Amino acid sequence: MAQTGHLTQSPPRAAAPWVTPVTRLRIIILLTVLIAWEAVAASGILLRDVVPSTLTIGRSLMEVLFRPDLKVSLAGAAFSMPAFYWHLYVTILEVAIALLIGGTSGLAVGLALGANPFLAKAFERYLYYLGPTPKIVFFPVMIMWFGVGPESKIAMGTVSAFFPVVLSAAAGMRQIEGVLIRVGRSFRLNTWQMVTKIYLPAMREPIVNGIRLGMGVAMIGTLLAETKLSNKGVGFMIIDAYNTFDMPRMYAVLLMLFVIAIGANSLVGRASRR
Amino acid sequence: MPAVDPILVVENIVKRFETQDGVLVAVDDVSFNVMPGEFLSVIGPSGCGKSTLFNVMGGLLGGYEGRISVGGETVRGPHASIGMIFQEESTFPWRTVIDNVAFPLEIAGMAKVERTEKARHFIDLVGLNGFERRYPSELSGGMRQRVSMARTLASEPKILLMDEPFAALDEQTRLLLGDKVLQIQQDLKQTTLLITHNLTEAVQLSDRILVMTYRPGKTKRIVEIALPRPRNSEIVSSDDFGRYVAQIWSDLREEASKGLKDDEARRVRSGGAGAS
Amino acid sequence: MSARGAIQREGIPFVFGILCLLAVITVIEMLIRWGMINPFIVPKPTDIVMSFERIILEENILPRFMMTFGEALMASLMLSVVGISLGVLLHRNTTVRLATQNWVAAIASAPLVLMYPLFLVIFGRSAWTIIMIAFVSALPPVILKTLEGLAGTRAVLINVGRSFKLTPSQLYWKILFPAALPNIFVGVRLGMIFALINIVGVEFLINFGGLGQLVNELAERYDLPGTYAAICFVILVSVVFFIGTERIERWLRPGT
Repeated sequence: MAQTGHLTQSPPRAAAPWVTPVTRLRIIILLTVLIAWEAVAASGILLRDVVPSTLTIGRSLMEVLFRPDLKVSLAGAAFSMPAFYWHLYVTILEVAIALLIGGTSGLAVGLALGANPFLAKAFERYLYYLGPTPKIVFFPVMIMWFGVGPESKIAMGTVSAFFPVVLSAAAGMRQIEGVLIRVGRSFRLNTWQMVTKIYLPAMREPIVNGIRLGMGVAMIGTLLAETKLSNKGVGFMIIDAYNTFDMPRMYAVLLMLFVIAIGANSLVGRASRR
Repeated sequence: MPAVDPILVVENIVKRFETQDGVLVAVDDVSFNVMPGEFLSVIGPSGCGKSTLFNVMGGLLGGYEGRISVGGETVRGPHASIGMIFQEESTFPWRTVIDNVAFPLEIAGMAKVERTEKARHFIDLVGLNGFERRYPSELSGGMRQRVSMARTLASEPKILLMDEPFAALDEQTRLLLGDKVLQIQQDLKQTTLLITHNLTEAVQLSDRILVMTYRPGKTKRIVEIALPRPRNSEIVSSDDFGRYVAQIWSDLREEASKGLKDDEARRVRSGGAGAS
Repeated sequence: MSARGAIQREGIPFVFGILCLLAVITVIEMLIRWGMINPFIVPKPTDIVMSFERIILEENILPRFMMTFGEALMASLMLSVVGISLGVLLHRNTTVRLATQNWVAAIASAPLVLMYPLFLVIFGRSAWTIIMIAFVSALPPVILKTLEGLAGTRAVLINVGRSFKLTPSQLYWKILFPAALPNIFVGVRLGMIFALINIVGVEFLINFGGLGQLVNELAERYDLPGTYAAICFVILVSVVFFIGTERIERWLRPGT
């Protein structure tokens, strides 16, 4: 950092790029964590099951990913596959539908609020204050409305995803440079052209950001609902591992879940930059 | 009397705004004509209603008295014959230079190959060849303003309407861009209306200059600039140029100092209100 | 003149919004009374309002509230101390920052609250499970915002400090930290809000503790109006918490 001269690091002189101080530190951190973990696992300070050896976790991960423990029949042909992929499919589908419904309605309402100051003054404060509240407490209501199946999980995801999208779309629309709208009008664009050629491209960043946040909370809403009451989905796998006290399996599923969530998030994040 | 009819007729424009301190008359009974191929500048101190006049002529602002007509046709809303260039940076940051310039052609429904070729022509015209595939964020302020200019020229307006397009640029860039505008205007015989508060810019570019008063914005005087054409920025060193600048400044000085006093008074008032 | 204008600009939409909400509630009430909505799925709004008194009197609402509030307070305290310290550490040591900043940002986007069964195994069904999961899942944004605040200090302010010949530690405590404080509080506030959301959520999920458990219990008893009333209460508490932290933030950053 140029503004704090005493913090600058010495330039890596004639060193191959993979042994820069940063890489070295990363390796050191990873190794330290790994060794500490193994030490705790071997010593049994905590219950052995709470901190199982990384080898055990690795074995569980292999089982989760590759042991075909679910029989399926597809188009008349019966075969086996790891149950993880089936549960993952269920959860991804739930989150995707939730994001579709919550995102589309959020975008529509957000555009209306952004375009109409009167509506924004009348209603936006409620959305703004309801946004950061624990949505999961609505789950009993969602079960009453939509049953115990995937529908109630989709409803949880939808409610969660709606708020970030609506708020960032409304704010994004108000942030558009006024001169861009005047350019559009001076070229005599009709309403549809104004929306597709000016408003939406100018709002791309806040909208994608809202969708990214919405996806994150939709995932949390859906998965938490699955851990509360369900018989399928990744959330169910986690709580099932807890109920059967299979900690290595829980670590394995959590690990996969986090990798997928981080990957999906950075993928959507990349879409906001050109 | 000129043999040809004026292309733009502005008659008795009055525009009032409701403000917290009562009604503000921004433009008060302004009338003028613009001939085909003519370059007319409207000059006045800050706050004299120049930008209001710009928005009214561009059809972006309604609710005024009087009449504006292009080729005998009354203007209601943005008119196809008027192309606007704005003071603020107005390129689309999500489009490349060529897609920015091709924008009006795309709206008009021109096929992709055709509009790309045409846009290229206008990019050449403003001297940005080689930058077609760049995004505005990769260009300097002066280059971006040339992209806006090319974009508006690509719609081939009969009248080019510019609102202080060089206000945000430094003096040297401004003079050089002025050259560009002169050259384009002389090549295309482009009727141009420039709103500005910059004296040298107005004299350098114009055939006639309309001087506005400060609040309410009335026509103070219309000055013919009888400098030879074709011109370029070297004209700023000629004696005639200096005389015109001096003449217009003597008109403008009184108005500008009124504006300055008013502005200071307002600052004191709002500062006092803020402290209480 | 301007006061009347302000009332027209702000007051009319505000009243309109409230009237619309009341109208929606009235329509729902009517539809239930006319039998067009099943009262065993959606209880009458009047019944929900009536049950407020009941759940306040019969369900130990104050101890529950204190419990949830205490958990939130503890988690917030831990978040502030650990989060800000880690943020400062990351800022002071460029190598550490370069090595770990992206990791922290990535972890921030993972659904960490899903680890609650793991914490359940470690801490049992206790307040510590709830506090720890709230702490862990809300930590990354506090670190990142602290770092952002410190790194975003305007260069000219640091140069002012240098021109007065401040020592590095003076530079830190007189310039960098105060300049970053508003941003740091944004992070702490974000963390506190995350923490409360996760606390109530986990209370609900593991059926333990304060307000979250209340919703779960009433739902398991099929006390429909009570469940709806409890949900409204929980939402109300979160909104008050949100507004409260917002006020504190505004008070902490005067002049902006």
